[in-house]
Formats: sequence, structure tokens, C-alpha cells
Amino acid sequence: MRTTLAIVLLVTGVAAAPQSGGAIRGRVDVIQAAAPIQRRPGVTDLGAAPARGSVDRRRTVVYLESAPRGAFDDRVEHGRATMDQRAETFVPHVLAIMTGTTVEFPNNDRTYHNVFSLSKPKTFDLGRYATGKSKAVRFDRPGIVRVFCDIHSHMNAFILVFGHPYFATTDVDGKYRIPDVPSGSYTVAVWNEGVVRDSRRVSVPAGTDVEINFALDR
Amino acid sequence: MRPGPPARAGRPLRSYALVCAIVGLLAAPGRAQDLPSAPLSLGGGRVVLGTDIAVTVGERDEIGWFNYTDYEHNALRTLRLAVNGEWRIASPIALVGELRAENMSSIEPYALYLRVRPWRERAIDIQAGRIPPVFGAFGRRAYTNDNPLIGYPLAYQYLTALRADALPATADDLLRMRARGWQVNYPIGAPTFEPGVPLVTAFRWDTGVEVRAATGGLEVAGAVTAGTLSNPRVDNDGKQLQGRVTWKPLVGLVLGGSVARGEFVDDAAVTAAGADADRSFAQRALGADLEYSRGYGIVRAEFIWTEWDVPAVALPSIDRPLQANAGLIEGRYRIHPRLYLAARADWLGFSKVTGTLFDRQPVSWDAPVQRVEAGGGWYFRRNLVGRVTWQHNWRDGGRLRHKSFVAGQLLFWL
Repeated sequence: MRTTLAIVLLVTGVAAAPQSGGAIRGRVDVIQAAAPIQRRPGVTDLGAAPARGSVDRRRTVVYLESAPRGAFDDRVEHGRATMDQRAETFVPHVLAIMTGTTVEFPNNDRTYHNVFSLSKPKTFDLGRYATGKSKAVRFDRPGIVRVFCDIHSHMNAFILVFGHPYFATTDVDGKYRIPDVPSGSYTVAVWNEGVVRDSRRVSVPAGTDVEINFALDR
Repeated sequence: MRPGPPARAGRPLRSYALVCAIVGLLAAPGRAQDLPSAPLSLGGGRVVLGTDIAVTVGERDEIGWFNYTDYEHNALRTLRLAVNGEWRIASPIALVGELRAENMSSIEPYALYLRVRPWRERAIDIQAGRIPPVFGAFGRRAYTNDNPLIGYPLAYQYLTALRADALPATADDLLRMRARGWQVNYPIGAPTFEPGVPLVTAFRWDTGVEVRAATGGLEVAGAVTAGTLSNPRVDNDGKQLQGRVTWKPLVGLVLGGSVARGEFVDDAAVTAAGADADRSFAQRALGADLEYSRGYGIVRAEFIWTEWDVPAVALPSIDRPLQANAGLIEGRYRIHPRLYLAARADWLGFSKVTGTLFDRQPVSWDAPVQRVEAGGGWYFRRNLVGRVTWQHNWRDGGRLRHKSFVAGQLLFWL
């Protein structure tokens, strides 16, 4: 809920007037990561859960809770992004995009998948499609979209759709960098596995990198 | 003869109302967001617990008994609570189980078995205990949401006039029980009125040992169990052999074939019939099934043939095995991310016997039944579905020859 609220603020909020840009960078240490969703106990399945790909550690998104004035002016994003399906896992597990982005969902697994979402910002169902095929969805509304597979209940992912470009997903080491932030004061929020886990106020001087590190505990 | 339904048939109405109210509140859009959405994971994922809660409300069926199961519950008026779990004891060993209670009655271990994978890199499992069925396709759909409709296929649910613990002495005894599978009574064996058996039960799992192996698109399974397809709790020393092969020639298409043979009649009934105690009175079955899915649709078909040996005791005798066959075809299509439609047509037929009844003409030993069911489901959220179905049954015998039912169901699972 707090996350949804925060992203709504991204659409409406206004901070200081932009001047020349700086950057916000740092590192997010997730001390205790959320456990991955387990498959339903397979009472009639053959064997235990098959080996899944290595856990995608790029699971945290850092973003500005309020965007600088003018952040939405003349910005129409027509970019493309990809959320792959491999070893019964969505890769990446967390995808942060801007409104207007089209996301491809290629099936690079050995079995059928059926990508769908019942989330309010984007409700869709791509149906079942086989290995080597891909289908795409365009995301036009900001918010959080939970993505699932209708066949494999443990497959899940998040797509965070922002109305501005001031966000970054952490890399495998937990590092992030939000470039081209106009000078001013902002609230920086850290989102991880469906929840805003921390937020801080920060002042970004013109042409300067500001470092903020976070340590997230459960 | 017991004139009316047993007390338990109408018992759960207040329970329905209570659970409907609770789940209904949970289903409201605001509250639904608070519902858990994933199985409970303990011990770093070594123990996983899920649940399956289905509240089904439909019309009573105490004349035709079309939808009663061998648990003596109406499949269209049932409260089902289940907890399923998997405990990965060590890398190759897991304990898998499901506890289930229907209509607030006793808790049954529907499944409880040890699963061992001897070779880590090979998809070969050995399962021992109360194991999943090997025979057929529908029986392996353990979870409520694996069934796109509320009713069950006739082959897996409809109660025939045959029992394992009581036997007809003559063909006339059998024909008198035609279309009365809900309350069957015969002169040999157990004297009580009890339900007959379905062709293959979807409501009880058998106890035994199963080996399953898969390679590429091929999967093979074989099992030795204590019961039979119709009656997993049969009271005799015989063993049942089951086998199944499934083949996936292309993504989305699954072809299956099954076979089973087991000792069907209880020892006490064989003795009461004066038959040779060493003689085999078996149930034999063959099955074939198909599943094809693509895009937003899925189609399934399944055919089952089975026969049961019964002793010939007196004239007019039952001098051949009693045979039955069943088929179903069903489809589901998702027309919106939250809405799907589904339909099923199935039938049940029986071989003929000749007695002194019915003008001494050959007559099917139980009344053939046909059923169509159609409906749809609305996903309030990924794991909370409301479903409504309409079902019509035709039967060539009995007090009630045809009857329609409407049922609603709220289903939640983790």
C-alpha cells in the first residue's frame, strides 16, 4: 500500500525547480532477503521441484518519491524491455520501467508458460505459448504490476512502472545510480519485494554525486 | 430398506452459511489484498504448506443422487478444507501429504507418502504410502482448481450399483438395484444399505508403492497397491497392478494410456457367495486420455473401459464380467484475464445382463447416464476464484430420469 502511494506521488508530486543535474548513487545491503515463493506442494508431481536458475539478486529499486518539476513535460517513453522466462523463473525478478515502455516476455524455457497479471495498473493475460515465442505488453499507467504464470504458481515477478525517469534497480552487488537528477531536495525511497523498506531526505547540489547507502533488515 | 437420506446429507448448511460469509468478506476487493498469496515456507524452504478451501453451494439432490460421491457427499454441496504439504527431509527424500476434511466431518489423510529420488540426476521417483493414482488423467488433478468446473466426471464420481462387500446372487438382484447406486443392498455379503462404487474414484487414494520415471517427453509409472480403482479400501489380500504412460510429442499436447488390474471383491463376500476362495474376482481397466492447450484454451478428453468379475451364484446368473465404459470431453477458454468459460460432456454406459425382469430381455446392468456441465469462473485475485456452473443429467432408469442443477463455488488456495 505504501509503495502504491509512493508511486502515485511520483505522478503528482513536485519538488524544487530543476537546475543543472547531479546524481544519487550508493549501495543497498539486503541483510535478510525475502525467501522466494515456493511452488505449491506437488502432491501428484514427479519428484521434487526442479533446479531453478540462480536467484536474481537485482531485487531492489531506488527512486525519488517526488519528481522534479517538468519531469513529465514532453516525455513519452517508447522504450522496450525484456522479462525472460527461464527454468520456471522470470528474469529479471524485478523490472523498473517508465510509462509507455513495451515489455517483451520471451519463453526460453522447455515448457509452456502463461504470463498474466491481475494488477490494477495493467491487467493482461498472454495465454500459453511455446519455447522460442515471445509476446509483448505496453505499460501506460504508473504503479506496481505483479506478474505470474498461470501454469507454474511459484513463478512471479514485479514490474514497477514510473511516471518519471528518476529510479534505478540495484545491480548484483546492491549498487545503484540515479543519473541526471536536477539539483534540489528529494525523498529517496527504497523498494524491495513489494514493500517500501526505507526512505530518506536528500539534497542534490548541481553537478554533484550524492551517496546514500541503505541497509535493509527484515 | 432405508427410506431417506442419512442425517449427514443435509447437515452442513449452517457451516456453509458461516464459511460463505467469512470467505465472502475476504473476497471483497479491499480485503482480498490482505489474503496471503503463496504457500507457507518453513525451515528455509524445507517444509512447504499449502491449502485448498472450496465452499460449494448447490441444490439438494436426494432423489436422483446424481452428484453423490463415495464419501457420501454431494459434490455440488460441499465444504472442502485441505492442507497439503511437502517436507524435504533430505536431498533425495521428501514426505508429501494432504489432509482433507469435507463438510466438517472427520479429517482424512488423502495423501501421505514418502518420495525418494535414488539418483539425483535422473527423473526417477519411488513413492510409498498413500500414493497418487497411476491410472487415468483426471484422478491426478489433486487440487480443486485443476477442475475447471464444479461437478466431477461421471467415471470418477457416479456411484454404480456394484459393491465390493455385497454381491447379487442373481441377475435379477443386480437389475433391481439399477440406478440406485446411492443405496445398494444385496443378499450376499454385508447386509446393510451402502453406496456402490464409481468406475474410478477421485476421492480416495490407494496405499502402495509407485515408481515413476521420465525422460524427454515420455513418462512411465507403475504401482502395486492394496485396493482397486473403484474401491481403494477393499478388504482382501489381493494386490492391484497399475501402469501408465504419457507422451508429450509437442509442447501443449499430452497423450496418455493407463491399465490396471486388482482384486475387487472382499474376502468375506467371496466366502459368503460360496465361491472358491482362491478364485480371482478382479477389476480390470484400460484408459486413454488426451490434453491439448494453446493460447487461451485447453481441451481434454478421456475414455475408460473397465470390467469386474462377480461370482455366479444362482439362476438367472451373471455369467460374464460386468462391464462399464465412460468418456468425457471438456474445454476451458479464458476470455479475459479474470474470466474463463468451461464446459464438459460425459457419459457412462454398462454391459447388458439377462434376468427374468424387463420381459427377460437383455438390459444394461446399471442405468446409463449422460451429463453436460457448463460454467465459468471469475478471478477475484490469482488464488481466489468464484465459479458458477449449470449441469444437466439424463439417466435411463431410476425414479428421476433427468435433472438440472446450478451450483456456485468460492475457492481459495495457497
